[in-house]
Amino acid sequence: MRPPNESYLNAGIGIRSWLLTTDHKRIALLYFASITFFFAIGGLAATLIRYELITPGPTLGSPDFYNRLFTMHGVIMVWFFLIPSIPATMGNFIIPLMIGARDLAFPRLNLLSWYLFVVGGLITLTALLLGGLDTGWTFYEPYSTFYATGYVILAITGIVVAGFSSILTGLNFIVTTHKLRAPGMTWYRLPVFVWSTYATSLILVLATPVLAMTLLMLVAERVLHVGIFSPQLGGDPILFQHMFWFYSHPAVYIMILPSMGVISEIVPVFSRKSLFGYQFVVWCSIAIAAIGFLVWGHHMFVSGQALYASLAFSFLSYLVAVPSAIKVFNWTATLHEGWIRFDAPMLYAFGFIGLFTMGGLTGLFLAALPIDVHVTDTYFVVAHFHYIMVGGAVMGYFAGLHYWWPKITGRRYPEYWARFAAILAFFGFNLTFFPQFILGYLGMPRRYQSYPPEFQVWHVLSSAGASILAVGYALPLFYFLWSILKGDRAPANPWDATGLEWTTRSPPPPENFDATPTVVRPPYQYRRGEPCPQAGK
Amino acid sequence: MTDEALTFQYATAEQQRETVTLGMWAFLATEVLFFGALIAAYFNYRIWFGAEFIAAARMTKVVFGTINTAVLLTSSACMAMAVGSFESGRRRGPVLWLTATALLGLAFIGIKSVEYYLEYQEHLVPALNFDVHQHGGIAEIFFIFYFCATGLHALHLLIGICLVSWLAIWIGTGRIDRSGSTTRLIGLYWHFVDIVWIFLFPLIYLAGRSG
Amino acid sequence: MSGRGILRCWGALMLLLALTTGLAFVPLGPAQLGVSLAIACTKALLVLLLFMELKASSGLVRVFAAAGFFWLLIMIGLTSADYTHRTDQRVPVDTVR
Repeated sequence: MRPPNESYLNAGIGIRSWLLTTDHKRIALLYFASITFFFAIGGLAATLIRYELITPGPTLGSPDFYNRLFTMHGVIMVWFFLIPSIPATMGNFIIPLMIGARDLAFPRLNLLSWYLFVVGGLITLTALLLGGLDTGWTFYEPYSTFYATGYVILAITGIVVAGFSSILTGLNFIVTTHKLRAPGMTWYRLPVFVWSTYATSLILVLATPVLAMTLLMLVAERVLHVGIFSPQLGGDPILFQHMFWFYSHPAVYIMILPSMGVISEIVPVFSRKSLFGYQFVVWCSIAIAAIGFLVWGHHMFVSGQALYASLAFSFLSYLVAVPSAIKVFNWTATLHEGWIRFDAPMLYAFGFIGLFTMGGLTGLFLAALPIDVHVTDTYFVVAHFHYIMVGGAVMGYFAGLHYWWPKITGRRYPEYWARFAAILAFFGFNLTFFPQFILGYLGMPRRYQSYPPEFQVWHVLSSAGASILAVGYALPLFYFLWSILKGDRAPANPWDATGLEWTTRSPPPPENFDATPTVVRPPYQYRRGEPCPQAGK
Repeated sequence: MTDEALTFQYATAEQQRETVTLGMWAFLATEVLFFGALIAAYFNYRIWFGAEFIAAARMTKVVFGTINTAVLLTSSACMAMAVGSFESGRRRGPVLWLTATALLGLAFIGIKSVEYYLEYQEHLVPALNFDVHQHGGIAEIFFIFYFCATGLHALHLLIGICLVSWLAIWIGTGRIDRSGSTTRLIGLYWHFVDIVWIFLFPLIYLAGRSG
Repeated sequence: MSGRGILRCWGALMLLLALTTGLAFVPLGPAQLGVSLAIACTKALLVLLLFMELKASSGLVRVFAAAGFFWLLIMIGLTSADYTHRTDQRVPVDTVR
């Protein structure tokens, strides 16, 4: 048994003990630092974009500069923030604790994953600093191979390297979940966060290799001047889109499933009630991952693919909304007749449920072929995916960050500042992105620097919202730093929650538990608002 | 020194053995999708281009391809013999079988190199000297696939040869424990590279041969 | 697997190789692709079940092994839904250059 003040944070001092660690908790913190860095860069690009769009004409530079700006924003946010966000940070830290294990199945592979991520990120960052590229994050052919100037190959190299990082992380999680559960931890006693991360890992492992091959073929075409996807040399550019979106659509489920898992953890705790319909929620996670592989063609309705294929993809896209909706119903039913507490994690969770629902419903509009023909490549699509990725995934990220902060750092954060930041972010988000639905419906195309003056009022509203959202995101940086330096010490279970991670100290000892727990109960058991812990008698 | 010491996160050696096996199969699944993406592109072009794409396959060298397939299948059999012999506790047997595996792998690479050289002479290498006016643009796309797929396969095979050679040396010098999984896992990788070729062979060499 | 079992498996693989190469020269028409793929699948199954010991492995290992192939079939199947139903004319490649 370790002395009470020895945790994973101070067991081992010096930079080598951090850079050569195999402790999943330390690797999680390494990831936290890296993705916060990339989030800041992507956010800077977003700030410049919104600043540019305040006026109808050019503000910051040429259209070519604007193209490079939104490409940078998309590439960084998708591959270097959203894809790793919750899995690499909270997944790495919390999953072994949740299943009662001492580490992941392959700790050294875990460290390799982080190094691959950092190396990939630095390579792509170099491409951006050298002048970037203007292809958009989707790299459509033949522009990206035969006509684009800019550092296409360098940027893609970084993405492929980071892709291998995410493949190895997913592999690690899948094998860990199968083989390293504590005695008594059956599949139906696992917290939903573990099921969600498992479903996410399925996608990471099965979809990312296709992206790697697709991007390698693009690089081959650009370097060797051959025509795999280029029509002037006989190839089909739509084939590139098929292969690209076969990964990139499941990728958006990589981004949302972990957030859904976080919300499924938070809502029961802050309603003091059992999660409604646990089995439905966990199997819906798997269903979202599986059906999510069948819908990619809805990004290609106007590309020139066969109408028959478009019909099939439209139908399947309606289908994939069903398990997501079931989850929303289950969260709502959990809230019903609960003892609700409006702590910061719960405020973010409420924000998630509302904003994800709006984003999801607008996805259904886009799945309808006639509507999509009208609004595709407009700001309607931009608003839709930002509602899901920012209103959904990023809110979930902040929710989880606040929820597990005491466990990770052993400190409390200032609650009232956190609630203020959550509310500010919610308000700022809606002001930023709701006008974009209107813009898209009215016909404002995406990726345009200059626009007709009648759209300006909506752009100004959107940019004003973005400045508020930026404050909402910046505030946590300050109060989390304050928390580390001066915050109150947190007990093992500050939220009175039931999971295994709350039975060990805050912050945990290096081997997680003083003794391997034995699990006797399903998760989220509350009796009249009082928690029944999972482990023990 | 044994490479199979029980690491701290496992309760039993059996748990560790099962876990690393699952990890290897998960990795092979990613490789199936990696190569598979290329094969999917091939299939779609085969459907879309039709007869001209299939006709281009006739320019590949079926004798070389068939011999190479036989070489690789035999190397898999040798690998299986090596793993079986090793897990029965022998030391010289596995080293001999692993050496045979590596040598057959090198034979494959050698035959492939000759094949590539002949194709270079016949102006069939896209980006280098492919004769579009004689063979046509669709044949060029077929040969892009040919070189990408067989090149990537050869790269995986080279990695396998290195792994097998390293393994033979380590077994020969007694540095690998019989209770561990390394030999079995390298065997899985080798068989997988063989399976990739089993599917590439008919798609590349056997299309369009009749009629 | 025993040495004799490996030898028998190898023999079967060689026979299948001879069969697939031989049949390639027989005019089977549209069935040609299906036949050669079926033989390839048989060879692959022999390697998977016997050399890679899937026959003696747990169900979980077999699911992991099957998953990649199953997902690949989804990718090939659903993309071909596009290519088998294209109605627009393809520009003859050589006139474009």
